[in-house]
Amino acid sequence: MITITINNKEIRLERPVTVLEAAKANGIKIPHFCHHGILEQWGGCRMCLVEVEKMPRLQTACTLFVTDGMVVMTESETISNARRSVLEFILINHPLDCPVCDKAGECKLQDYVMQYGPTAGRFKEPKIRHPEGLNDPLIVRNQERCIMCTRCVRMCSGIQGASAIAVTNRGNHSSMEPFSGERFDCEYCGNCLTVCPVGAIMSRLHRYSYRSWQVTDEIQTVCPFCGVGCTMIAQVRDNALMRVVPKLGLGSNKGLLCNRGRFGYEYVGSGERLKNPLIKKNGKLQPASWEEALDTVASRLKDIKNSSGGNAIAGIAGARCTNEDNYAFQKLIRGLGSNNIDSIARMGFAGGQRIFEGMLGPGVTSTPLSGIADSDAVLVVGGDPSEVNPVLGVHIRMAFKKGAKVITIGHAPGLGRHRTAGLLPHPQADGVVMGGLISAILKDKKSLPGGNRPLEEKITVMHLPSADDAAAACKLSAEDIGRLAKQLAGASSVSIVVGREAGGNKDTAMLVSVLSYILNARIYLMSERPNEQGLVDMGCLPDMLPGGRPLAEEGLRKKCGASWGIDIPADEGLTLMEMIQAASSGGIKAMYVMGENPAFNLPDTKNTEEALRRLDFLVVQDIFMTETARMADVVLPALSWIEKDGTYTNAERKIQRLKKAISITGMEDWKIVAEVGKRIGLKMPYGKAADIMKEIARVSPLHAGLTYADIEGGDNLWPYKGEPHKNWFSFPELSADAFTSPAEEGLCLMLEKPLFHSGTLSRKSPALNSISPEAVLRLSPATASGLNLKDGDFAKVSTEKGSLSLKVKIDRGIDGPAAFVSNNFEGRGLFSLTGYRLDPVTKSPLTEGRQISIEKE
Amino acid sequence: MEFKKIIKTIFFTEILKGMALTFKSMLSPAVTRQYPEEKHPAMPGFRGLHALVVDPATGKEKCIACGLCAAICPSQCIYIYSTEGPDNKKFAERYEIELTRCIYCAFCVEACPVGAIVLTEHYEYTDYSREALYMTKEKLMANWNKYMAGPKGEEYFKKFWHPTADDYRAYDGQPMFRKREG
Ligand code: SF4
Ligand code: SF4
Ligand code: SF4
Ligand code: SF4
Ligand code: SF4
Ligand code: FES
Repeated sequence: MITITINNKEIRLERPVTVLEAAKANGIKIPHFCHHGILEQWGGCRMCLVEVEKMPRLQTACTLFVTDGMVVMTESETISNARRSVLEFILINHPLDCPVCDKAGECKLQDYVMQYGPTAGRFKEPKIRHPEGLNDPLIVRNQERCIMCTRCVRMCSGIQGASAIAVTNRGNHSSMEPFSGERFDCEYCGNCLTVCPVGAIMSRLHRYSYRSWQVTDEIQTVCPFCGVGCTMIAQVRDNALMRVVPKLGLGSNKGLLCNRGRFGYEYVGSGERLKNPLIKKNGKLQPASWEEALDTVASRLKDIKNSSGGNAIAGIAGARCTNEDNYAFQKLIRGLGSNNIDSIARMGFAGGQRIFEGMLGPGVTSTPLSGIADSDAVLVVGGDPSEVNPVLGVHIRMAFKKGAKVITIGHAPGLGRHRTAGLLPHPQADGVVMGGLISAILKDKKSLPGGNRPLEEKITVMHLPSADDAAAACKLSAEDIGRLAKQLAGASSVSIVVGREAGGNKDTAMLVSVLSYILNARIYLMSERPNEQGLVDMGCLPDMLPGGRPLAEEGLRKKCGASWGIDIPADEGLTLMEMIQAASSGGIKAMYVMGENPAFNLPDTKNTEEALRRLDFLVVQDIFMTETARMADVVLPALSWIEKDGTYTNAERKIQRLKKAISITGMEDWKIVAEVGKRIGLKMPYGKAADIMKEIARVSPLHAGLTYADIEGGDNLWPYKGEPHKNWFSFPELSADAFTSPAEEGLCLMLEKPLFHSGTLSRKSPALNSISPEAVLRLSPATASGLNLKDGDFAKVSTEKGSLSLKVKIDRGIDGPAAFVSNNFEGRGLFSLTGYRLDPVTKSPLTEGRQISIEKE
Repeated sequence: MEFKKIIKTIFFTEILKGMALTFKSMLSPAVTRQYPEEKHPAMPGFRGLHALVVDPATGKEKCIACGLCAAICPSQCIYIYSTEGPDNKKFAERYEIELTRCIYCAFCVEACPVGAIVLTEHYEYTDYSREALYMTKEKLMANWNKYMAGPKGEEYFKKFWHPTADDYRAYDGQPMFRKREG
């Protein structure tokens, strides 16, 4: 116990902290510029000077640690004089721009000058001029205003790990240089904006459009872009979204955001938003009234049910719709007598989670994000977290900085500078490497941990390849595998981060489970969409009811059906890709798509489109005219994330509240679904989203009794307030070829998950388009020079399925013979080039046909 | 005492005094102004209808959309919507004053760092509709041109409005300043 006195107040402390922290914890404010709670201490601004008894000079409170018996004064004549001088020095060059500076009103410099500051400076020399940096699309730099606190630099290199800015030049002339797109590694996370205490780094998006005191409402909500589910604050003026800002310390993201979350919100106000329901008449979509559209949907669905049975109807639920939306949606589809309900979570998330839970027990993927930064070792497989779930990626980078071993299997350019080792097997041979790693670790550990008998029996008959065999099969070095195995085995706290590609492949997913078991590691399942977990929990699966209850269990099914007043069919429905196949063979006649764009987001685009065209009746409910909506018979305009209430469940399995901040005319997804439901005779008496939550809390045993108040009160982690399902264990068999690496050689086509885009939403976001405007073909410098291609050339990329003409972009982050194409831009998606095969267990589509040829155009 | 009172009562001295005043007034010129036939000239510094100062050099408003006038306004009747102009400078896309709620305190004039909003001498703007009393940026700039442009405005700036900017030496076209020497 340490006792100190600050301003005559006695303070007791458990452990030594800095004077500034001790004061802050006790409500004593010490002015500071360069100190920031989440950044490394620097002690460079001298604003936090305090008097300490028995110390001859003033001390910086942010770097001085308390010692027992210390007596500190934070305000006095001497201190005020010192602070006034500091401010006077800053103001030598700082322009007095407050009337036009967007920071005014929330600027530390402004506040301190009001409190201590000089009314007039004594310097006669002209101020240093530094023209405002307006050539960057998202971030405006005004280096005249910079006070050299280096917070931004410490944020960028210390936390974000991008190292895109540094102090250049000296003394008076120093400035923060430079941002500017990919050339300088800026990831446009905007986290430097969050910490800049003055208006030297500001967002371009809302430049000059507000004063901080004009905000009429601040709503805490959750990011609509990915499954990390970052908490953010939406600031509103007059029913318009002014800006989205994080709040440091809030949520699992602790106030960090990525570029999508920070700069992507403008799609909300896009002029291309759907406003009226549309009905196809004479082959053209034409505006119609809500009544007419809803009646048409209900009557056509009823007709098809009567003529071809409920099984001819299928529903695709939306991964960016709320739990409430999705719950209502699956109820509707089941009410139509069909279990054909699935979603984009089928691409890897749902299947992977099923396998992990089956082998390791329920809730294994419910792991708090903060665990990553505390790990000794992090293994990444099947995706690039820095691009798919950027804030999760930042946590891995933080772990690396703290000295953790970070090992990646497969391409993960975002971790290029933050890993101890990267293994690059053939994209379909992750399993082989994992097998080799497991056997090497087992050799090292000598025995299995004991505890999970059935799993251990399974492991003993797995025929794992030895490290040498695995290395030989994937053309890697056996020593590398051995060394990494040692590092993993030696770590006391391991995190395994699993991406879509690994989750969807049952063999890889099983091996991840085994690895996690023998290392006692936490599993983090990357989630590309904001509510993939919610889709699983709400029963938007062909074989599961809400709350993760299997459809096959008759008692549960009956009970659920009874509470909805319907008979839920006993047969499992079709999974996502099976629905598409059934649509093309005529088995599925009607499809209801909510908040998804299957015609673009599913592999083998051409055939998928073909299949959707064959449907007798297609309803699409979305906020934009997507590729799928264009084919629809009825299009229903829904609301965006900031216009509705509800909940999302993130990758940590934390259920979080979404709040309505602005209202426009239109209907929430759940409301549209309920209107259709009522018209076909279902009981859906919902007046607001909370009513649905009440029903969920009644029907889903996993959410038993859960209310919005609980969620906001922090009672929101899996298993929420309910009971997880017990009888989980199920072990699929490894495929016979699980440990063989495909023999194919040469250039391999890979899916790029761009940091700056996510799909339907990001496409309509001007800011994101300005930093990443078009689809490109990314090649490593070696590959490009081998093909005689330069940056900016056009090349024709062809596979068995088709070809695309794309601009070449040389990317130094890429290793090996791989060509990356994203699937975000209309008409230029990778999925139009690849085929797939279904995994027999997870039913995820696994990309096939990666062999490509590239020709210069 | 008694006697005086009796005299007063008998001779109606009080009434005669009053009548004397009446006659005096009857013969002196009338002070009642026959408004609206006869206009009342505003006193110097009168706080009447608002105007947005137009810079004669550019023909544009002087306002830099800082929002301070709206922030200080006690009845919160100024609405400003700013944005980035084509020259990357800040400007008020909409500058509106709800006159029906204004209390003519002139705090807005005082708060403005650049002397861009003023209260003119004009006070005759009653109307039957609220819309007519809702000032937009265009109307406010027209008010300046109509009532204050030229030497009159200059005079007013010197005598009454005195923006903070005048006390400081502006530098390189910046909106703000350093205290003048001397
Ligand atoms: S936006 Fe992010 S990556 Fe770019 S400089 Fe700022 S902190 Fe660094
Ligand atoms: S730009 Fe902002 S955060 Fe960076 S050093 Fe300057 S004042 Fe500090
Ligand atoms: S990491 Fe994901 S949830 Fe967080 S801001 Fe970025 S897109 Fe949004
Ligand atoms: S005169 Fe007073 S009440 Fe009227 S607009 Fe100006 S500040 Fe507001
Ligand atoms: S205070 Fe002056 S410059 Fe600022 S918005 Fe009002 S009128 Fe314009
Ligand atoms: S806050 Fe202590 S020196 Fe900057």
